[in-house]
Amino acid sequence: MNLETDILVIGGGSAGTMAAIVAKEQNPDADVTILEKGEINRSGSIARGMDALNIVVQPGITTPELYMNSARIATEGIVDYKPSYVMAERSYSILKRLEGWGIRFPRDEENKYISLQVHAKGSFLLEMDSPELKLVLAEKVKEAGVRVVNRTIVTKLLVNNGEVNGAMGFNIRTGEFVVCKAKATILSNGGCARFSLPNSGYLYGTFDYPGNAGDGYSLAYRAGAQLTGFEYTNCSPLIKDINCPLLYITLTRGAEIVNALGETIDLEYVSTQRMLKELREGRGPVFIKMNHLSEERIQEIERILFSVERPIQKRFWENRGVDFREGLIELGETEYQLCGGHGLTGIVVNEKAETTLKGLYAAGDVACVPLQHLTGAFVFGEVAAEEAVKFVSNKEHSKIDQNLINDEEQRLLKVLENNKTGTISVQDFEYKVRRTIGDYVVPPKNETKLNRFLWWLPRFRKEMTNIRITDHHELSRFEEIQFILDCAELSVHASLARKESRWGWFHHRTDYPEKDDENWLKHVVLAKGLKSGEVQTVLVPIDDGGDP
Amino acid sequence: MPLIVNKDLCTSCGVCVERCTMDIIRLDDEGFPYIKYDECWYCGVCEEDCPVNAVVIDLPFLVK
Repeated sequence: MNLETDILVIGGGSAGTMAAIVAKEQNPDADVTILEKGEINRSGSIARGMDALNIVVQPGITTPELYMNSARIATEGIVDYKPSYVMAERSYSILKRLEGWGIRFPRDEENKYISLQVHAKGSFLLEMDSPELKLVLAEKVKEAGVRVVNRTIVTKLLVNNGEVNGAMGFNIRTGEFVVCKAKATILSNGGCARFSLPNSGYLYGTFDYPGNAGDGYSLAYRAGAQLTGFEYTNCSPLIKDINCPLLYITLTRGAEIVNALGETIDLEYVSTQRMLKELREGRGPVFIKMNHLSEERIQEIERILFSVERPIQKRFWENRGVDFREGLIELGETEYQLCGGHGLTGIVVNEKAETTLKGLYAAGDVACVPLQHLTGAFVFGEVAAEEAVKFVSNKEHSKIDQNLINDEEQRLLKVLENNKTGTISVQDFEYKVRRTIGDYVVPPKNETKLNRFLWWLPRFRKEMTNIRITDHHELSRFEEIQFILDCAELSVHASLARKESRWGWFHHRTDYPEKDDENWLKHVVLAKGLKSGEVQTVLVPIDDGGDP
Repeated sequence: MPLIVNKDLCTSCGVCVERCTMDIIRLDDEGFPYIKYDECWYCGVCEEDCPVNAVVIDLPFLVK
């Protein structure tokens, strides 16, 4: 399939659908294309809806400045002022846009939005009652006249002289090779959910949507873009074994956290690191306790948990015989992930969603706007679209080197041919890669440990020729393993470069156990070195917006 | 197999195949859905979007 478009959006989740809709709003004549790995009605991290819009600055109630204070505390200072400020500033208009599309935000008896405090300063999280959110976004994409190509994995960006001119990939069912030339490209294909192994041992039992294998990080890195925050390998305390979220829903409605000694853990606000500390220091298991709540409250919690985001929880609890009215809910540590929404990881972007490569924008979990959650995906979807529309006006398609296209198609065909007779299943291979990430890439970290992964890395890459691939679905998993390996490589180099400990446990180095603001209150930025195969790390000052 | 299909209700419409977030469902020779690749995230889209409520996900043994 050969396509030519003005604006290419890679990944049709929260950020990508918003970007495509807004691009058509800004210029209805623009040709806009989404390449989506899943099926757009139910794809990305919000396939079954979402129960909250995490960051909303309501005029007259909170301010962007107050949000920035919270963000600085939550990120231990690793946050650039402008992008996060823009997100806070534009968050209310996102709320209004979504309301205009029929998304429900519950209000109290005084007609105020129901908000919950999960940040250090201010109540920014707004409840949202929307199991149908993704269907609504997909419908808006359709109404806008955007071209959607489903079931297509992007394997390489088209780059010429430091400018991105589109992307290549293939249909994961038919294997059809897809080339999409574009005047501007927006990457919005998520973080890396499949990083270390979940404790259940089930490869796909991750907290975040496991279709996100760090595709965007790897594509951007290989294209030459800068990335940052890869040392911040993070996890969460969620329902043990199934890794479904429930903290905000329960804790903001009066539930308590108790440890194995029966002590209630005092949480000023929902600090996940505080809960994880209990587990690590031997006071686990840690439980959510709800048996003191009223029947009305319990029913409200059940209604939300069992209808939005991960409704499968209902069956999980029934199977285990747990009733919230009596039993305790055991929390466990999820696998480690890399994410711009829940974490501090991603492609370097400015407040215009511009990456360091011309013609390439990034939005959502793939971009580093720390702890941006769903709000950031929507705001920067809008921003990326506005900027991309300006960028492509009066712009001609760049000339593309046909050899780049032929090489990528041949590479994929060669893998299919060579790996037909492989002896290792894709799943076994991924299991070992992710087990090894868990052994060496995640906290507690030290130099020797991190270097052990670099010993494994070339061996894994070489051994990939022995993975058995019998169809294009498995070929797509093979490509994803390459993305996971790239993410791990970037994470190791960032972790080695940051010779201190920061962001609590998530970048804890036993050989540099202290936080050192004097020398390390800065970004570790990664880019492809001039020598092939070499990751370059650079230290970049934080933009504190003139308010240190 | 973590997908339980009510064959009396299923019309083989293929919505579950089309909407599956991990693209792991296929129709068998008789036209009934099954999980071809063991990669289910139990997101529940197949259940939710089935127009006749004919499918139910069983959680993987390692998880449930």
